[in-house]
Amino acid sequence: MDDDYYSLNSILAENHKLSCSFTLDVEGLGYLEGGTENNIHQHSKVELPFWLAQTLSLNEFTTFPLPPPYSNRVKAALNASAQSVKLSNLVGGNGWWYRWGRRIADVLDDEPQADLLNTLLKAFVNRLPALQDLSAHHASADHTLPEGSTSTGETFRDGMEGDERELFAIGQESGKVSKSWYDSSGRKGGR
Amino acid sequence: MALPKHLQNGLTPDELTFLAEEETIDIVPLFSMTRVRLLSGIYGPFTPPSAAKVPLWLALSLKRKRKCRIVPPEWLSIDRVQNSLKEERENAESFCSLPRRFIEISKVLLDVAQDDLMQPSSLRSLLKDLREVRQAKIRIGLQSEGVMRGSYLQVTNLTPLELSELKPFLVKAMGIMQSLEPRKEEDEDEEEGGGNYAQ
Repeated sequence: MDDDYYSLNSILAENHKLSCSFTLDVEGLGYLEGGTENNIHQHSKVELPFWLAQTLSLNEFTTFPLPPPYSNRVKAALNASAQSVKLSNLVGGNGWWYRWGRRIADVLDDEPQADLLNTLLKAFVNRLPALQDLSAHHASADHTLPEGSTSTGETFRDGMEGDERELFAIGQESGKVSKSWYDSSGRKGGR
Repeated sequence: MALPKHLQNGLTPDELTFLAEEETIDIVPLFSMTRVRLLSGIYGPFTPPSAAKVPLWLALSLKRKRKCRIVPPEWLSIDRVQNSLKEERENAESFCSLPRRFIEISKVLLDVAQDDLMQPSSLRSLLKDLREVRQAKIRIGLQSEGVMRGSYLQVTNLTPLELSELKPFLVKAMGIMQSLEPRKEEDEDEEEGGGNYAQ
């Protein structure tokens, strides 16, 4: 997961809105709230994109609670059965649940940071076997047949977030390349 | 990088096959010729009843023109493959050691020189079994503790071809895990090429 300056995925992941509250009055920025008021008052809540919230929070102009996709409720669901949580729905857009979580963790203090990262890592590790099986299965599956969407694998596939989907595509692609090599008859060029 | 995306992850099976064709193999020529000088060395002389050592690509080309009989390498016999398979099955923890280009060479020989091999069909199914046992082990390995802690996967004795199938997925998965690892100190350099490489 790169945080490269030019990485489009990182940019998209940073664009999710975070609910922040201001710790001081700000003059002239009332339009951020969407109202007609001219100033932002102390303790007022504003939805800010993460890239803005990050800078403001690091300078202690704003504070934010852990957003709902990483709340205890989700954590409990992940503990119960990591594979059946639909991460794709938790964060809007393409659902960069891991990336966004990691960026948020960067802003947090030591203890909540380690806590959040551990949650993310544990979720990823617990979902990896299912992901690997699924990509291997899809690489070897015959795609001329219409796909059934009843098995548990398919529901897991619907719940994959952005990076998991990329990983899935990579696994599927390399599996496919090998399979087509094994199946080819080596008659290239020939006599 | 200038390479198309499907080539960025490493060598493809086709490229590995190309490399494997540099290995030498014994043939029994069906024509007479003196020594020939090729870029990779001097081969021959070719005098029909006696064998000659040539690179695999030359052997395959001659075979396709029906100008030679290929002598299969000694590891490509029913007995040897059966032994490997048995060893592979008994040893659940690790992979048994195979010649480096085992899969590639056995495949091209089965494709091109079937009639020079003993019982090609049973050989083929043995090789398939061997592959499946090893694949199952790779799958278990991917879910092992070492991978789960994002640190390592035991790949001793895997051939380059098997690695090429595994690598893109593993590299990306480990890249993600590493980036999610709780930070120890303020060293941003710990993120090595892992994630980037897989992109």
